[in-house]
Amino acid sequence: MPDPEDIKVVKDLLQAIIKAKKNLRIYPANNPIYAKTVNNTHLKIEAIFEYLDEIPLRMTRNEILYGGEPVFKGVGKDDNLALFFSRDGLKDLIFKSGLTKEEFQSFLEIVSYDFDSEDIADDVITLLWEKDFQNIKYTVDESILVEEDEEDYEEEAVKQVKERSAGEDDLTKAYSDALKSEETAKEIQLVPITDKDVTALAALREKVARDKKGKLIDILYEMLLMSEDFYEFHEITAIVANAMEYSIKQGDLRTAIEILWRAKTFDETTVTEFDSKEELNHIFRSAESPEIIKVIGDMMDEEPGIEDIVLQEYVSFLSRNSIPQFITILGELKTIKARKSVVNALVFLGGKDIAVLAKGLSDSRWYVVRNIIYVLRKVGDPKALDYLLRAAGHSDPRVRKELLKTIGESKGGPKAAAVVKDCLDDPESFVRTTAARALGSIGSDFAKRVMLDRLSDGKFLSVDFNEKKEFFEVLSRWRDSTVFDFLMKTVKKRALFKRAKHNENKAVAAYALGLMGNKNALPVLEKMRRSSNRFLSEYAYAAIKRIEYGKQG
Amino acid sequence: MESKGEIDLQKHAKDIVNNLAVIFRSAQIHDAANVAVVSSINKFTPMVNRLIKAEGAISIELVGEYFFVNGSRVKFPSEYIVSFEFLANEFTNRGLGSITFSDSIDVNDMQTLVKTFITSISAPEPLEALMEGMQNSERITLGKIRIQKDDEDVEVDARMAVKKTYFNAVSFTKGVMKKMSSGEKVNVKRAKRVVQSMVDQLLGEHELLLGMTAIKDYDDYTYHHSVNVSILSIALGQKLGFPRKMLLDLGLAALFHDIGKLDIPPEVLNKPAELSEEEWGTIKRHPFWGVKAILDIRGIDRSSITAAIVAFEHHIHHDNTGYPKRQTAAERDLFSKIVSIVDQYDGMTSARVYSRTPLTPDRALKLMLSRAGSQLDPILMKFYINLIGVYPTGSLVMLNTKELGLVYGSTDMPNRPKVLVIMDSNGQKVDGYLVDLSRKTKDGRYPRAILRTMDPNKYRINLAEYML
Ligand SMILES: [Fe+2]
Ligand SMILES: [Fe+2]
Repeated sequence: MPDPEDIKVVKDLLQAIIKAKKNLRIYPANNPIYAKTVNNTHLKIEAIFEYLDEIPLRMTRNEILYGGEPVFKGVGKDDNLALFFSRDGLKDLIFKSGLTKEEFQSFLEIVSYDFDSEDIADDVITLLWEKDFQNIKYTVDESILVEEDEEDYEEEAVKQVKERSAGEDDLTKAYSDALKSEETAKEIQLVPITDKDVTALAALREKVARDKKGKLIDILYEMLLMSEDFYEFHEITAIVANAMEYSIKQGDLRTAIEILWRAKTFDETTVTEFDSKEELNHIFRSAESPEIIKVIGDMMDEEPGIEDIVLQEYVSFLSRNSIPQFITILGELKTIKARKSVVNALVFLGGKDIAVLAKGLSDSRWYVVRNIIYVLRKVGDPKALDYLLRAAGHSDPRVRKELLKTIGESKGGPKAAAVVKDCLDDPESFVRTTAARALGSIGSDFAKRVMLDRLSDGKFLSVDFNEKKEFFEVLSRWRDSTVFDFLMKTVKKRALFKRAKHNENKAVAAYALGLMGNKNALPVLEKMRRSSNRFLSEYAYAAIKRIEYGKQG
Repeated sequence: MESKGEIDLQKHAKDIVNNLAVIFRSAQIHDAANVAVVSSINKFTPMVNRLIKAEGAISIELVGEYFFVNGSRVKFPSEYIVSFEFLANEFTNRGLGSITFSDSIDVNDMQTLVKTFITSISAPEPLEALMEGMQNSERITLGKIRIQKDDEDVEVDARMAVKKTYFNAVSFTKGVMKKMSSGEKVNVKRAKRVVQSMVDQLLGEHELLLGMTAIKDYDDYTYHHSVNVSILSIALGQKLGFPRKMLLDLGLAALFHDIGKLDIPPEVLNKPAELSEEEWGTIKRHPFWGVKAILDIRGIDRSSITAAIVAFEHHIHHDNTGYPKRQTAAERDLFSKIVSIVDQYDGMTSARVYSRTPLTPDRALKLMLSRAGSQLDPILMKFYINLIGVYPTGSLVMLNTKELGLVYGSTDMPNRPKVLVIMDSNGQKVDGYLVDLSRKTKDGRYPRAILRTMDPNKYRINLAEYML
């Protein structure tokens, strides 16, 4: 039985390991607590190695034994270190003195894996094995590897070999033949390995790609060509689709593109007895599955991200079915670079089905809607305007603004102008001015009419000065007599009430006249310049200068 | 810092051993005072002195086939194979086990060592001559070769462990294949574990597990074949200097290389008569089915990709003949090249339905050698022959002592393997005792040597039965 003092320190050590397991799970490796935990736990085990050469632990399902004495009792699944090791068949775990901090850290990291919820392809023993620790040894109960109905295999096999073995006669015969034989020659000559061979071997090893995906893809396409019937073809395409998904999940979009490119070429160049097109479509369909596009989105947000040119190449293989998921991730992406790339992708995809793209206009996230409006504008499809007009009443003013900009740029017909007209009553000033600018861009007679009506409306008098200025500036783009006369009338107007507000109108009308550059306005403006009102005088002066010297002033 | 020193040591150990080999080698060609020798000594001493400072002393020891520096085994890359084997031979030939540098050394110390080392080989007792020559050196001490513990008990324990590993692997493979053919999911984590223990055995008791591959003429051919190919591939990979993780991938790929045979109807696979052209066509599709099975059942990850590639390529030859026929020629994967060599070897040396008499290992190697460069990769073939040796495990040999035995494992000397004696010098059947032909007696002579080889199949003598 071990020293009670030893039992106590080993117990402590195991508790420290459990604590470390928790900390390593919670904190990222660059957190100071992570490093501190590793350090402290290592100090603890080093202290034990002051007087023990090794710490051998025996694992059972719910207990860890040291020298036959329990030093750990686990209950249930959580924090059950005994179960954690024993369930994969680990029997003994031995820490040896000389254990370095680096080794111990790797060990603690393995212990901190959550094998139930994380996607880890290996069990704890394989992970220990791969680390090849110098100072942590283990033994394994291999019987768990054998199927129950094969348990007696060894015994059976041994029996069979023995049954077939040579009898006494055979041996005697062999012996006497061997004595009689004259032969001494050997069948083969051993050629020693030379430096040249070693160099040649190094060259062979050099050629082995670390990433074998490319090679696998070559083989899978050979196999598509070798398929003898529809069923085989069907199975191979399913594997190709898996390989593509795997590549993407590995962060390797280029290989995925290679796969898609090959599928496309195969379809274009190879004639099969069955409908291969439909089967190959499986590959394209999985390339645009919501799950995969989500993975791509996550990749785009992480370093190093995906180059725009690579994403666009990938997207070039996708169909309109991918539009909804791209709209979804557009709202989730964090980096501007990523969002820009997705917007570019949608510009390409939107051209395939503008109706599906336009559904994005009813997305609940205002910034998505704004992006979709932008995309619709870039798609450049005349039908886009119809969809845009439907979104006119969006609850977010930033969306309404983007929409008006788009409508303005598209120079849509009377229907568009009518929608814009309504926006002149928007509660937000910046939306109203954008609407005015949109009318200016539309530039039709109807638009002009709408503007003139608005500016003549008595209510316009009380509008904020800057908004007034914007509206008058828009009006000045129609360089015709109607507008000129209207502006002249405004400048000359005499007002008895609300004089300050009227003066604002006069000032911005003068400003607009200046922008129009019509010399016929000069006498009236001269008169205004002499006004005792400094505000009017300054505006008139600036307008005169502008008319006389062109743009500057 | 202590831990840093250890890392340093692990990093430099291989270079120290390599450099020492270079020194002795050039001294053999020139002499100890030659420029080439001096310049390699000048490279060696500061390296050793730096480590002595950190470690106190540096000892280079040969145990079995491996070098240990200060007690840890030296892992070395494949470009050092020649040097390491050279140095191991030079040590063994002198009965030298270790060289310890206990204090900072200078060029003179090294020259004394080199001179003594070179001249000692022609002395009647090399080790004694060596020790005498270095008597006055306080900084360099020599040790004689440690006799490996191979008293009966240790031997029996090792044999038991190896046996267990081997049969676990076969029964596991059988279980996996049965499951696969009934469409059940297969646990890859367990397959990895099976291969890990084979890798461990091979890195330790090298020849014993190799000896188990002699078990083949048996009903469960495919399962044994799979395990044998896996074991021999790992052993070759080890010879080529692959790291452990790579050996695991290679062993896994090799274990599953013929998994596509599950899809071949048993009446074709086990047909005792000549196969029709159509039936051959079916057999030739097993690489195709293998890829499908591996990727279907194991899903796609790094190791299943490797295994799928090997399954597809293991019957494609070096010169691109073989099957399946590709539309676009491509270089085979290194693992495929390895498995195709081992696969041929195990196939030829096994009794199978379509070739009832197996070839003896040396005949098989001879035939394969004639295919090096056409069917098989010539360089890998050379390494393979070096692995299997002049007297492959399982060869039936008559010794000059008139003892009849089976080759049981290799030693550092290709002509002097370990032999399990089954008939003594009087022609009496014995229980089987092990002799190491590379061991000398006290008076420096080899008591036994191989006189001639016999065909064990002719007498139904199989190493396997003696191993069990
Ligand atoms: Fe095969
Ligand atoms: Fe095979």
